[in-house]
Amino acid sequence: MASDIPGTKEAREVLKKNKIVIAGVGETDQGKIPDRSSFHFLSQASKLAIEDAGIKKSDVDGLVTAFSLVEHTFMHCTTFADYFGMKPKFFSSVAVGGATAVWMAAEAAMAIASGQAEVVLCVRGDNTLSGISSSGMLALIREMCHGEFEFPYGLTTPGGYALAAQRYLHDYGATREQLAAVAVTMRKHAALKENAMNKDPLTIEDVISSRIIAEPLTKYDCSIISDGGAAFIVTTEDKAKELGIENDLAYLLGMGQGYSHQYMTTLENLDQIYNAINRSGQKAFQTAGLGVSDVDLAYLYDCFTITVLLELEGLGFVPKGEGGSFALEGRMEIGKDLPVNTHGGLLSQAHLGAMHHVVEATLQLRGDAGPRQVGDAEVALVHGNGGIVSAHSTILLGKEPLS
Amino acid sequence: MAEEKTYNKPLPDFRPETKPYWEGAKNHALVLPRSKETGKFFFYPRAMSPGEDMSENIEWVKASGKGKVWTYAIHHMGPSKAYKGDPPYVVALIELEEGVKMMSNVIDVDPHDVYIGMEVEVVYDDVTDEVTLPKFKPVK
Repeated sequence: MASDIPGTKEAREVLKKNKIVIAGVGETDQGKIPDRSSFHFLSQASKLAIEDAGIKKSDVDGLVTAFSLVEHTFMHCTTFADYFGMKPKFFSSVAVGGATAVWMAAEAAMAIASGQAEVVLCVRGDNTLSGISSSGMLALIREMCHGEFEFPYGLTTPGGYALAAQRYLHDYGATREQLAAVAVTMRKHAALKENAMNKDPLTIEDVISSRIIAEPLTKYDCSIISDGGAAFIVTTEDKAKELGIENDLAYLLGMGQGYSHQYMTTLENLDQIYNAINRSGQKAFQTAGLGVSDVDLAYLYDCFTITVLLELEGLGFVPKGEGGSFALEGRMEIGKDLPVNTHGGLLSQAHLGAMHHVVEATLQLRGDAGPRQVGDAEVALVHGNGGIVSAHSTILLGKEPLS
Repeated sequence: MAEEKTYNKPLPDFRPETKPYWEGAKNHALVLPRSKETGKFFFYPRAMSPGEDMSENIEWVKASGKGKVWTYAIHHMGPSKAYKGDPPYVVALIELEEGVKMMSNVIDVDPHDVYIGMEVEVVYDDVTDEVTLPKFKPVK
């Protein structure tokens, strides 16, 4: 997509003027943690991010939360504000499925740029693994598909992604091994992440021979379910200086969304998905004045292995149909062409939407990623996907501000 | 002896505007909504055409019932216990001759014999006294 997307010049001016940054991050334990509630995780993650920034709780004047799959609340952000004991001047709950975490950063940036708040806490936490009931899980599956024209046929969430995967394998002659390679790379990275849930080595053969969930996808093509929380703090460079924040800052360079469909029934073809991913990415790229070759690290939504291939291709890192060989050749690993999800992603670290993707991108740009550190990382892309490859959001983060 | 039919799987969440579709299915006819203003079919059924016309002037047209498998997923796990014994079953997107896609099951076939492009035709599964689900089987 070469043509200019309207609004990118204006967005660039806004980001340039305000110098929006992520100034603090926090992650709780992840995994099976049965004795903590959703709001407990939200509180812990918030505290960790505030402490990481080295600021006071009362310095935070904005709050962006998402939703809970366990404790359903009509007004999630203010329910948490009450629990945590804060009186934000700006509050919002973002609910666009897996596109949420990335868009929480954008929502915070827009609030700051329009003078609604100066220091915005973005937080998600949930006890999904321990707390969700079987009826709650069924309600979740039902919500992912059309309750009248899809759900009565027994569609599951992995089944929805399997529909996309099957068509992808057909259209591009891709292989099961190529899909499996995505899970293998995520597992290698998770082994280096202290709080990752699954660290045991995984081979392509392990993935292919694991329990079949919805052909062509097996158990290890599917992301994990976990308990945990994560948070990040969005502010401006000036405010960070004023508050004495010592962390290196991760600058927001661009952001964008792309929409394809909500229900698989209304999907015309795979290009519709590619176009939505591309639109989301291009909006962010054009705002930042950057291209794919400038990206050192990619954080792609990996709810299922197929999603990573569609995003690699849709964002333009590789041509359509070539994501599979890119994965199989190990080119997404740390130290290779384009490290993807250096923390292990949803497939192996933990599943809290793309919260950990945003946190890890920030840690990498700060140089705080420990054994996973990619030395010269200057620009990171984070992409979220909600629904069944339906709703997309992208942000670009950099070590340096827009100039 | 009449067999008592129990159906524990989820039934459609009906909206008022889809009544003609489900009445058609009950009478073993696949009827599709079409905007009278543009002459375009759309699916799933809605109260208003999703096109630029935003028309509520909708006609229900009997479809040929024939189509092709656009993609499919062989489910080895159902969404709930109600599906116990069903897997493996096929959930597919069927591209109908009328140009729209609908989701359904492909039945009366070994799941592993289903392929993209397979020609299928509608069959009717009367799952309860009130509800009939249109499903598809391979054209012989």
